[in-house]
Parts: sequence; structure tokens; C-alpha cells
Amino acid sequence: MLTVVNHLQGLASRLATEAGVEAGEGPGPIVPELKELYWGAGSFIVFALLMRFYLFPRLKQGMDARYAGIRADHEQADAARAAARAEVADYEAQLAAVKAEAAAKVDAARQALEAERQEQVKALNAQLAERRAAAQAETEAAKAAVRDQIHAAVADVAGRAGELATGRRPDATVVARVVNEVMAR
Amino acid sequence: MLAEAFKFPEINAILRWQDIFTSFNKIALIAVAAAVIGIVVFLLAGNKDAKVAPKGVRNLAETTVEFIEDGIVMQTMGKSGLGWTPFLLSLFIFIYLCNVPGIIPILQMPATARMAIPMFLALLVWVVYNGVGFKHQGIKYLTHTIWPPGVPVALKPLVGVIEFISNIIVRPFSLTVRLFANMLAGHILLVTFALLTQSLITAETQQLLLKPMAILPFFMLVFLTAFEVLVAFLQAYIFTILTAVYIGGAAHPEH
Amino acid sequence: MEAFSQLAALTGDEAKAASAAGSAGFAYGLAAIGPGIGIGYLVGKSVEAMARQPEAAGMVRTTMFLGIAFTEALALIGFVVFILIGL
Repeated sequence: MLTVVNHLQGLASRLATEAGVEAGEGPGPIVPELKELYWGAGSFIVFALLMRFYLFPRLKQGMDARYAGIRADHEQADAARAAARAEVADYEAQLAAVKAEAAAKVDAARQALEAERQEQVKALNAQLAERRAAAQAETEAAKAAVRDQIHAAVADVAGRAGELATGRRPDATVVARVVNEVMAR
Repeated sequence: MLAEAFKFPEINAILRWQDIFTSFNKIALIAVAAAVIGIVVFLLAGNKDAKVAPKGVRNLAETTVEFIEDGIVMQTMGKSGLGWTPFLLSLFIFIYLCNVPGIIPILQMPATARMAIPMFLALLVWVVYNGVGFKHQGIKYLTHTIWPPGVPVALKPLVGVIEFISNIIVRPFSLTVRLFANMLAGHILLVTFALLTQSLITAETQQLLLKPMAILPFFMLVFLTAFEVLVAFLQAYIFTILTAVYIGGAAHPEH
Repeated sequence: MEAFSQLAALTGDEAKAASAAGSAGFAYGLAAIGPGIGIGYLVGKSVEAMARQPEAAGMVRTTMFLGIAFTEALALIGFVVFILIGL
């Protein structure tokens, strides 16, 4: 900073001596100096014209081309993504169809099996019922036979007892009827 | 005694520079350098491959272009104003590169702190936006400018005078003065604190405390230098955006 | 105080220069009051607007800079007057 200040002060004194203008004289600070005006205007006009007709269009062209390229790439990527999505959807549809078919087959097989099972169960049940009925009939017959034997024995015992008590053999039909009544009670 | 040691130089001593050669001085040098730097940067940027991601000088140029397009043109003129981008771009770059030498060592002088360049640019902008107005609206431009639509007849003379002064006379004046005075004020502040620092260091005094005190104006100098970086950008931005607003207003009066 | 008595003792061109230097300071000081208040109010309101609607921040910022530019011009004209009459 010091060198700058020295520079400034040196310049101030040089202004006074070499340039022939007293520092503090010269035009006031808000009066434009013609040489600065010429040079400033000239350089700006050259710059602006070059920018308008050469520099900017060239740069802008490159930028637009790149942006267009990027946009095209984006679109391409979008298209590829859409295609991939469509393929996935297609595959999923196929998969669903196959699955439905398989499910139908499994269902049919299951139904067939179920019917077969029902049939066999029914046949077995019928067989069982038949056997049970036969066994029951047999049991009933055996029971009836035993009951008849018991009847006969009891009637015999009762007739015998009455004969011993009264000296006379009671009527067999009466004894049988009384035994029947007692046993039925 | 310090007041006697500290003598502020005459204003011209900090603003006028010795001619480098006849009718070419430092201000002219800065202006030419600004144009040349702008041209070289955009030439180099244009020479680079446009297809790859921009970096270096091309990145700089493209960022500037996009700043002008998105930050200035689209905000003030909309899509129809995009054709003005090259003009606003060169205006912005030129003003910025003329402002920045105010803080560059050795140069230490913003070219826009002299009246010539701001005045020329403001007059150019004035010509451009009035030309655009006449081109787009014909002679109606004048009446639209002086009497905005919907002004009662009774008020027309008064409004006419006010609008004429503010649109035709004050605009270029304020455009000039805003740029010029901002940069001049910044320059004077920098000079003031540099001189304060120097006169405190070189003061011939018995008080030992006085010399280390030079650190205070020096810190202020550093801070102001950083501030001037901001001001250089902001003034270029404001000049450009006002130009865009004026041109947009002249092209489409309803906005 | 001493300065004022010195001022009173001056005559002619010196007195004119001294009073010009004094009034230059006043010119700039007075010119800075209004724009100072204006810019403070403007930026404060802009920050409020940006905080309330962050999505409109870009537009608000642009308008804020425009407003600052117009307001600041008054202070800068005062600064130019300061240079004109003071230096």
C-alpha cells in the first residue's frame, strides 16, 4: 500500500511538472476529457460490434448445439426407459398368463382328486355300514336266542317251584305269560 | 499537529494521470485493455470444443452469458428480449472490466471514475432505447412516454412535463452519475485510508502510540478494498439491468 | 471553536472557499439522509418478502436492486454536488 501511495504522490508531483498541468487545475473531475471519451467509446464500440457479430453467435451456437445434444440424449434415454418399461410390462403379462394357467391346472387336478377321494370315502362308508348292520343283526339274533333260553329256564324254574309248593304243575302258558310280564318289567 | 502532517491532495492529483503518449492516458489504456480482455476471453472460449462440458475460460464465458440471459434479460424483458443479450453482455463486461482496475495494484484507478466513459455509455443507451421505442411504436412512442395510458386530460400538461423530464432527461443523467459517482466515491475512500495509513506511519511525533495506530486505517483499507470488489460488480450489474429495463419498456410500453 | 474564530477572521476568496468546504459537507450529509432511510426500508421489506415467499426471491432481488439503484442516485447526486462545490 505504501508503494501505491508513494506512486500516487509521485504522480501528483509529476503531473505538476511534466504534463504541464498544475495538479488541481486541469478540467474539473466531472468534465469528460475528450481523449478518454474517444478511447473509451472506440474500444466499447469495437467490443460491442465484435460481440454482436462474431464472438457471441459463435459461443451461443456451441452452447445451443451442446444443449440440443444433451436434450437429444435425454430424449433417447427416456425412449430407452419407456421401451424397457414396455418390455417389463409385456413379460409381466406373460408371467401372469402362465401363472393363471398353472393355477387352473392345479385347481382341476385338485378337484379331480377331491372327487375321487369323495367316491372312495363313500364306498368305504357304505361297506362299513353294511358290515356294521350285519354284525348288529348277528348280535340281535344271539341276544334273542339267549333271551329265549333264559325265558325257558325261568319258566321251567317257576313251574318247578309252583309244583313243589302246590303239588300241582301250573299251566305252562300261564307260567310263560307271568315270566314274560316279570322280565318285561 | 497530525492535522498539519495530513494533507489531502487536490482532487485532480488522484484522478488525472500523466499522458502515456499524446492523447492516450491511463483511462484510455484501461478502456482499451477492458475491450481487449473481453475479446480475447470470448475468442478463446469460442475456440474450445463446444461439445464437451465447459471448463476454464469457456466456462467463464458461458457463465457470464447465462447470467445475462437468466439474471437480466429474462427478468426484465422476457423471451422477446433475448436478441439484446450481446449488447447487454458487452456492456456488462466492459463496465465490469473498467471498474475492477480500481482495486488492482499498480493500476489503482477505475476507468469509470472519470466522467467520459459512463457518459458515453449512458448516451449510447439513451440513443438505443429511444431508437427501439420509435422503431417499435413509431411516433406513438413519444406520446406513450409522455402520457402513460389512463392519465386524465386535466393532468396531461403536468404529467407530460414530469414524465418527459424523468424519461428523457433524468434517465441518462442518473445512469451516468450512478456509475461515475459510485466508482469515484470508492476511489476517494481508498485513497483517503491509504493516505491516513501512510501519514500515521511516517508521522514525526514523540508519541510512541501513534505509529502502531496505523493498523486501524489499514484494516479499513483492506475492508474497503473487499467492498470495492462487490461495488465493481454491482454497478456493472445495475447499469446493465437498468439498460434492459429501459429497452424493454420502450419496446413494450404495457410492462 | 478555534476553527470558527479563524473562519470569522478570513476575508474575500478565503472566506468563500472555507464556507464552500463547510457547505459541501452539509450538502452530502443532507443528501445521504433520505436515501439512507429509503434503502434501509427497501431492503428490509425485500428481505421480509423473500422470507415470506422464498420461491419469488429471484424476482424480489432484481426489483430490490432496481429500487436501490433509483434511491441511491439521489445520494450520489449529493456526492457530485459535494465534489463540485467542495473540491
